[in-house]
Amino acid sequence: MTPGDNIVEVRNLTKSFGDLLVLNDISFDVKRGDFLCIVGPTGCGKTTFLNSLTKLYDIDRGEMLVNGESINLKKHNVAYIFQEYSTMQWLDVEQNIGFGLKIKKRPKEEIQEKVDKVIKLVGLEKYRHYYPNQLSVSMLQRVVIARAFATEPALLLMDEPYGHLDLQLKYKLEDELINLWEKTGTTVIFITHNIEEAVYLSNRIIVLTNKPTTIKREMLNGLPRPRDIASPDFIALRDQVTELIKWW
Amino acid sequence: MAKKNARDSRIWLSIQKEKKEKRKYVLISCASLLTFLLIWELCTDILKLAPSYAMPSPLKVFRSFVAKLYQTAPDGSTLPVHIGVSVYTALLGFLMGAVIGSPLGILMAWFKTLDRIVKPVFDVLRPIPPIAWIPIMLVVLGIGTASKVAVIFMASFVPCVINAYSGIKQTNEVHIWVGKTFGASRSQLLFRVAIPTAMPMIFTGIKVSLGASWMALVAAELLASSSGLGYMIQIARSVGRADIIIVGMLMIGVISMLFSAALEYLERRFVKGVK
Amino acid sequence: MAGPEEVFALICKYFIEPVGRTTLFGHIGASLGRVLIGYSIASLAGVTLGLAMGYSKTVRAIAAPLFNIVRPIPAVAWIPMTILWLGIGEAAKIFIIFIGGFANTVINSMSGVRTVDPVLIGAAQLLGASKWQTFRRVILPSSFPYVFAGLQISLSGSWMSVLAAEMVSSHEGVGWLIITGMNNANTAQIMAGMIPIGVVGFILVSLMRWIEKKLCAWNDRSR
Repeated sequence: MTPGDNIVEVRNLTKSFGDLLVLNDISFDVKRGDFLCIVGPTGCGKTTFLNSLTKLYDIDRGEMLVNGESINLKKHNVAYIFQEYSTMQWLDVEQNIGFGLKIKKRPKEEIQEKVDKVIKLVGLEKYRHYYPNQLSVSMLQRVVIARAFATEPALLLMDEPYGHLDLQLKYKLEDELINLWEKTGTTVIFITHNIEEAVYLSNRIIVLTNKPTTIKREMLNGLPRPRDIASPDFIALRDQVTELIKWW
Repeated sequence: MAKKNARDSRIWLSIQKEKKEKRKYVLISCASLLTFLLIWELCTDILKLAPSYAMPSPLKVFRSFVAKLYQTAPDGSTLPVHIGVSVYTALLGFLMGAVIGSPLGILMAWFKTLDRIVKPVFDVLRPIPPIAWIPIMLVVLGIGTASKVAVIFMASFVPCVINAYSGIKQTNEVHIWVGKTFGASRSQLLFRVAIPTAMPMIFTGIKVSLGASWMALVAAELLASSSGLGYMIQIARSVGRADIIIVGMLMIGVISMLFSAALEYLERRFVKGVK
Repeated sequence: MAGPEEVFALICKYFIEPVGRTTLFGHIGASLGRVLIGYSIASLAGVTLGLAMGYSKTVRAIAAPLFNIVRPIPAVAWIPMTILWLGIGEAAKIFIIFIGGFANTVINSMSGVRTVDPVLIGAAQLLGASKWQTFRRVILPSSFPYVFAGLQISLSGSWMSVLAAEMVSSHEGVGWLIITGMNNANTAQIMAGMIPIGVVGFILVSLMRWIEKKLCAWNDRSR
């Protein structure tokens, strides 16, 4: 388990819904500690891709390996942040954050300790005993992110988590995410249709085509952090990616 | 500082105005009730518009209520005894129905094979009103607590199953996915996602069920019983004591309200996170 | 205890030969007829009172105390009192059926008026609508789903009440059928009565659902 080796390997992933071929023979690797952003035109199957990777959807053909074995959610420590709101309305903030750990049957003290750590990182310490219906949308997203990080996942999947939020909030949460990523060394696969966001966050970018979806281009993003969205290098990379998406 | 005071006093004024309005309506309600009682009293005791066996005055009803607290005439038991019997029987049938019905509804919604087996049977039983079960239960189980509890069970069981089933079916797929991605087993998904989601509806089923149980109890006691509020009312009718009938009816209403209030309280305490 | 074949045969027999005063059709018809009358009166009175109580705080303040005392008393509990007042004829039964359906219509209609979106009312007033116009064109249509829900529940309540009323004293009707079966310890007859009761109840519910779909197409409350 040396840093930099492959944590995820996807081979020939193919998925169709009835007659409609959505994912067409997708293969790539993700190295440990990567922040991979997957971008593509709207509706090209990015969500389908993540759901197929995690076996939430059945696939036609292909292999998804984590640490060399076929992906197994009970064994491998994966966290998935969905596009839809996914906090549980019957649990308060503290219980929501601890949900993943509880499912993984961690001992009570461990859960308390990890929840305490993460709740401070996302700044929701004061809202421990509030219920989701009392919180704003941005706070709910923070709860979901905290819930993911509380389990100290080896692999973190995120599907357009900041899509519903306004710009200022988006920037703030993006910075928080980079902070968490640097602190914990998790591998992140982040899906977005917002190219600026992808260039800001990633150290690798994969561009998808339209349906039937395959990989159009894989590229590295070596911009130094902290990144400045107004810098010429940033804009150049952003334009490059935009060009790739425009002509499918 | 002055600005804050001005705003505070405006808020205070509007709160006072609201309170005054509320008080006005409370007064109207009290006045309405009192007027009703006065007219009732007028028509019966003073104008004697109806024979006393058919329409007693409110004072007579109140006096009979007090008397019945310790007198056993004309039906053989005091009011508290009747209340005790009725409440006991109703709760027994209700609890049996809830304890069997809610889990059954949950399991039917979670396990498709169970659903396929049980649903047809349930769909046949479901549209039969609880009251319609009284004759068959009386013939099969005789007059006594058993037949009454059986009828009440049928009344309680159906809403519990339906609402628990509905509640589980409403489980949000995203929540199931969250559980799955954290590696949850089927039973963890059932107990940590599906059932908590269904709790509000399970509670609704229980509320409906208690109301239906109480109604079934009253019906069962009216038709064949030797104790309880329904029986008390029947005997009162046969000896022309309308005052006792009214006492009985009011008691039935009051207990129904107490049951509802108790369940509302329990719901507020145990069902979390609902607006 | 009679077996299913015996019961089924009996039901067929009842459709052709009279049991008591009339055939099964006659009994179902008698019961439904009573429900129709009692339920219509309950619906009319209930919706009127409910809408009034929802619209006017004064009306609500006047009617609420008496209504809230009477509401939790089930229709069945009214039977002895009704017999004292009205005897054991049709009027008494219709009254019981009325009680069985009244409360729910009031509550739901009232609820419907009270939950009208204030934004809609405001919009109507901005456009210059009079109070009556606002009531007729905004409040009434908006509260219709609630009113209709109340009518559905009341129909079930009325159907149950007709049984109770018939079981206490009548000469025909599905309630009469099962109570006579009980008095003769004839389990086959009882069950032969219970099945039409369930079927008719089911048909009534389905009918209401169908009507709701037609009328409230714009208000999708997926069940």
